[in-house]
Order: sequence, then C-alpha cells, then structure tokens
Amino acid sequence: MRWFFRQRPTAFQPGSIAFRLIVAVLAVELVSSILVVGLSFGYERHSHFHAFDVLMHGHIDSILGAVQDADDSAKNLMLVQADLHLPRDDIYEVYDSNGRMLGRSSNWQGIPPNTPAPSQGPSMQLTVNGRPYRVLRFQGSRIIDVAEPGGGKLRQFTILYGAPTNHVWRAIRGAVEFYAAGSLVVLLITGPLIAWLLHRGLLPLRQLASLAAQVSVDSWQFSPPVSAHSTPELAPLTLALENVLHRLEQSFTQQRTFVSDAAHELKTAVAVIKSSLQLLDMKRRTAAEYQAGLERCLADSHRLEEIVAKMLTLAREENTSAAFGPRPASDLTECLDSAVAQLETFAALRDVKVEVAIAFSGVSLVPLIAEDCSLLLTNLILNALQHSPAETLVEIRLAQKGGNAELRIQDHGDGIDPAALPHVFDRFYRGDPARSRNTGGTGLGLAICKAIAERAGGSITIASQPDPALPNQGTTVTVHLPLASDAETGESALPSA
Amino acid sequence: MRVLLVEDEVRLADNLAAALRDGPGFAVDWAEDGQVGDDCAGNRCYDLIILDLMLPRLDGLSVLKRLRGRQDATPVLILTAKDGADSIIQLLNAGADDYLAKPFDLGELIARAKALIRRGKGAVHPTLTVGGLEVNTLEQTVRRDGALVDLSPTEYHILEYLMHRPRVIVSKRELLEHLYDYNWEHHSNVIEAHVSNLRKKLDGALPEPEPVIETMRGRGYRLAPELQLKPEPDLELSQ
Repeated sequence: MRWFFRQRPTAFQPGSIAFRLIVAVLAVELVSSILVVGLSFGYERHSHFHAFDVLMHGHIDSILGAVQDADDSAKNLMLVQADLHLPRDDIYEVYDSNGRMLGRSSNWQGIPPNTPAPSQGPSMQLTVNGRPYRVLRFQGSRIIDVAEPGGGKLRQFTILYGAPTNHVWRAIRGAVEFYAAGSLVVLLITGPLIAWLLHRGLLPLRQLASLAAQVSVDSWQFSPPVSAHSTPELAPLTLALENVLHRLEQSFTQQRTFVSDAAHELKTAVAVIKSSLQLLDMKRRTAAEYQAGLERCLADSHRLEEIVAKMLTLAREENTSAAFGPRPASDLTECLDSAVAQLETFAALRDVKVEVAIAFSGVSLVPLIAEDCSLLLTNLILNALQHSPAETLVEIRLAQKGGNAELRIQDHGDGIDPAALPHVFDRFYRGDPARSRNTGGTGLGLAICKAIAERAGGSITIASQPDPALPNQGTTVTVHLPLASDAETGESALPSA
Repeated sequence: MRVLLVEDEVRLADNLAAALRDGPGFAVDWAEDGQVGDDCAGNRCYDLIILDLMLPRLDGLSVLKRLRGRQDATPVLILTAKDGADSIIQLLNAGADDYLAKPFDLGELIARAKALIRRGKGAVHPTLTVGGLEVNTLEQTVRRDGALVDLSPTEYHILEYLMHRPRVIVSKRELLEHLYDYNWEHHSNVIEAHVSNLRKKLDGALPEPEPVIETMRGRGYRLAPELQLKPEPDLELSQ
C-alpha cells in the first residue's frame, strides 16, 4: 500500500475528503465491531449457559434416580451415592419435602448460612472452594417403590446441584475473543483497502482537478474527461466549470479585443497627430501653411480627445457593478424633447426634417439617469441625421408597448449593408469607411447606446434593407426600455421633479 | 517612383501621401479600403505598396496574400498598430518586406520606403552609378563626371527610374505609370518634353558629349548604351 502514499502524499491529508471518509468508515467499522463483540458475548453466554444447564439437569436426573426408599419405619428416603457418577468438581444436596437433607456431595459443606435462601430463584451463584459455581434448584417429585401395594407414593424433594462455571466462562471468552480478533483483522485489512478504493474512486475528481488546473488566461482549453460527465456527483461541477470558463473566456476575449481595438484606434489617432507635426516640420513653410497645419493638428487632437471620452463613457456604461443604489429614473418624453431641441440646428444645417410622434398615456419613466438617457437619444438621433441625405425626413416614434417604452428612429438614408448589419453595435466598427470619414465617427456611438439600453434592462435593434432599386429606404433603430412601475417611481420620481 | 497607400484613416493617409510627395517626390495613390487597394495593386504599376492592417472590407493580410498569390513582387511595407511578435512573424511569412508600428516616425517611414524601392530594383546603395553618371537618391542630386547637374524634379525622377534599369528599353507608358499618380492626366508628350530637357542638361555640360539617353522610336528610352558600363562595386561584393 506504500506505493500510493508515495505517489500522492497529499491525497490523505487531514481534512481531505478521502481522509474524512476513511476515518468515518473506520469509526463505523469500530462501532459495529464493538456491537458484534457485545452481541456475540450475549449470545455465547446464553447458549453456553443453556447447554450448561441442560447438562446439569442431566446430572440432576441421575441424582433423582439415586433417591431410594430408606426402608425404614418412617418411610424416609435416602440417596444412594455409590451409583452416582458425577463430575468430580460438581456439588449437590438433596432435601426431602420436610427439609431433611438426604445427601450431599463430599466436596461441599452446604450453603453457607449467611447466603440468601436458595428458594429465591431457580439458579444462584456461589463461591465454593474459591471457585464460582452455578447452582440449580430443582423441585422434583417421584413415585418411589412402585412395586409396593397401592402403587407407591408420590414423594417431593429438592435437589440443589452446582457446577463450576470456570470453563463456561472460558469458552465464552474464547468465542468473544475470536470475534474481537476477527473484527480487528477485518478493520486492519479494510482500512488500507478503503484508502486504496477511495484513491481509485476519487480518480475522476483528481483528473478533473488537474485538467481544471491547466486552464489559464492564455489557455482556455478545458476538455473534461468523460468520467467527469458520467459521474453524477461530478457532472454538475463539471458543467458549472465549463459554463464559468466559457463565460470567462468570452469576457476575456471581449476585453482583449476591446483593448486591442482601443490600442489600434488610439495609436492611429496618435499617428495622425505625429505625422501631421512631422509633415509640417519636413521643410520650411509659409506662415499660412503653418497656421493651417496647426489647425489640422488641433482638429486631430480633438478627435483623439473624443475617442478617449467615448471609451471612458463606454467603460462606465458597461460597468454593471454600478447597478446598486436607488434605481434611477428619468422621463423619456422629456429627454426626447430636449435631445431633439439640442439637435435642431444640426438638422437644419443638413436640411433634414425631424418629425416626432409621442403616443404615451402614462408617465414615461425609464430606469436611466438623465445624462445616459439624453446621451442615448442624442447619439441615435445624431446618427440618423448624419446618415440622412438633404431634404429627407427623420421620423421618431415613441409609444408604450405593455410595460415597455418603444422608441423608433427611422432615417431615409442609404441604409446599411446586410453584411455590416450584425456588427454595427460592435465597438470601433465602422460600417462604411467613406461614411465614417464624412461624419467623423469613432465607431463607439452605437456600442455606447447598446450598453446604455442593456444596462437599463432594455434592448436595441437595428433594421435596414438597402435596395439599389428603392433608394432612401433607410435604417430603423428600435429601442425598448422597461417602464419604471408606479410603486417604484413614487419615491424616485420626486427628487427629479 | 509610384507608391500605393492603402489606409482607411483619412487624416493619416493625407499626411503620409503629402510626406511621400513632398519628401522623396513619389507619386502616391491612395486606396481607402482593402478591396480598392487590391484592385489598384492589380495594375502592377507600383514600386512600393504601403499597407495598413486593419482595413474595411478586406484586411491588410488578405490584400498581401492575394498580391503574393499573383506572383507580384512589389515591395510591401506594412503599417500596424498591433503589438506582438506573432502578428509580425505572420506578416513577414505572408510576404511582407518590412513593417512599421503605429505611431511611427515620418522620416523613418520615408527612409524605409526608399530602401524598399531600392531593394526592389536590385540596388544596394542609395547612390546609383552608371558610367560617369552618378545619382544620389538621398540628396536627389545628379553628377556627370563629377560635375553637378541641376534638374527639375520630374527630370530627376525620370533619370532615377532609368538609372535603376540601365540598357533596358523603358516605354513612355512605363515612365508615366511610375512617375505619376492615378489622378494625373496621362499625356505621353509630357514625358517627351521632360526627356528632351533632361538630355540637354546632362549632355550640355560636356564639351564632347556622348548621348546618355537614347530614344528608341515607338518603343521608349534606353539609358547609356554607349557609356562605359562597369558593374557596381557593391553588387560585386554581394555576388
């Protein structure tokens, strides 16, 4: 058994499951051994003493046979001891019904006078010649002198018969000792056997643990052994591990992509500024050229600033841990009005008309802070305006759909390429480079909108079917936001009012 | 020399194109995405392709693989914002000649661009020498038998191009393709006028000039058929 202790010295440390199981099993075994020994003691004592009593009764029967008519005038009885062949150490006494002693074994002086009366029970314990004896009291009756006229006479007498119990106890002890020794041997054999079986039985767990230990930030490969899935105890753990790892990996990949994308954006923005400055420095230029170059550099810095600001906004919006504290609430209708008012000039500049239709019966409170709410709305409306050709319409519809507010913003631009559509909410994704060039987008606006909507427990979808035959079909962005219930708004609406 | 710049970031592309035009005087074509870049590269009139990696529609690596798949040996300089040796190894193994990590130094970019063009033409030294004619590509100066010859930028570029290909007949079309960018109105008589001026300037300085540029009627121009051609010392070393 040494091989596995050497192989895995840590497997049976105190506190380990295997250790606890072994201790538990051994304790149970010990208790059952004690029980077995106790029961066997009781059983052996009973059966040995039963046999002992049967034997003694046999001897009593012999004594009974040895009681004869004394042939005297008083019709007394006598014990004929010459015919008795009883074990040497056994003791006996025979009394007739009058209490007269008929006979007694030679090795006994009778019951000491201070002992309790023999009539108190069928058996008693005595110490004779320094040895424990078991003494039976037998009330016998017998017809003696059957040959006599009248068919003899029924005579009562009492026999006390005792035999030393030493050897009975010895036999009982021997049997109990055998059971105890057997239990001990079983205990000694099963201890290591259980350890070995447990070691084998816990193999799937160890395999799972070692495979799980191989998972790291760089290597997400986790293929649990077949045994892990087929073991009912391990299956939930394995499944949970797989799920956690999968989600972690996704989140890590997402973060890594974000960092890589962000690095790319920032490096590119820095490269623009750096190259602008170096270009300016390449040769001597006129004051006007320097002026224009500096303005370009300033514009480039503004762009870098914008990227950084939007990245920070996105990071803030995606930080879900900020969901604690009192639930914020802001009035969607109010936010929409102010957002439209804010972008009025821009729309006029691009010659785009904005049409707002609000169909709301109740209070349009959504669980967003006012800042986020207006950021969401201005981002979406600005997007629609930027993608609208001149003399077109941007339609904004706000309606109540069950417990949700539904906001639809539709432009009549060129639409979005179906291949690009699934990616428009991706961070730093720019559907059409030509378009983003015109609008100076950072590729973060829609990602921010999505983060805001999802943080409020809502959703955002985009639909577009560009068709060369039917131009200006445009793009429709639909936002669903859960409406704050009246009970909730009762208190949280007050401070904002 | 004509350079194709494939870069989606407008401002960066503007700056790079301006630097390449102002500095070494390259003709620069700009492609705003990978697909356009790939289409442009298919014309095979570029002496260098500067390729950004993260491009819309078709990424830089795919453009590079398609280019090399067509057995196009044009030198490619990659602009990357990605870190990590894996990405660089992958790029170089895919056939890139060099790379620069953003944000890069404009001077370094120009130097690498020049070096790649030079290597692409088989020259090892920035100073090209054919007979008594010496062209310093760094200073953009020309000497004939030690005497400095003053050339206009276009004349210089024509000469530099011809210097890379001595004794080979270079057509007017080839000269046009390699000296002017896509937006230029192609007129071969422009080339004729420039070559005529160039020839006058190169030969005029000498009392008994040997013609440096020979006109092959209907076929193009050939540099220095009569000049004593001696192999460049550096080339000898490299062989």
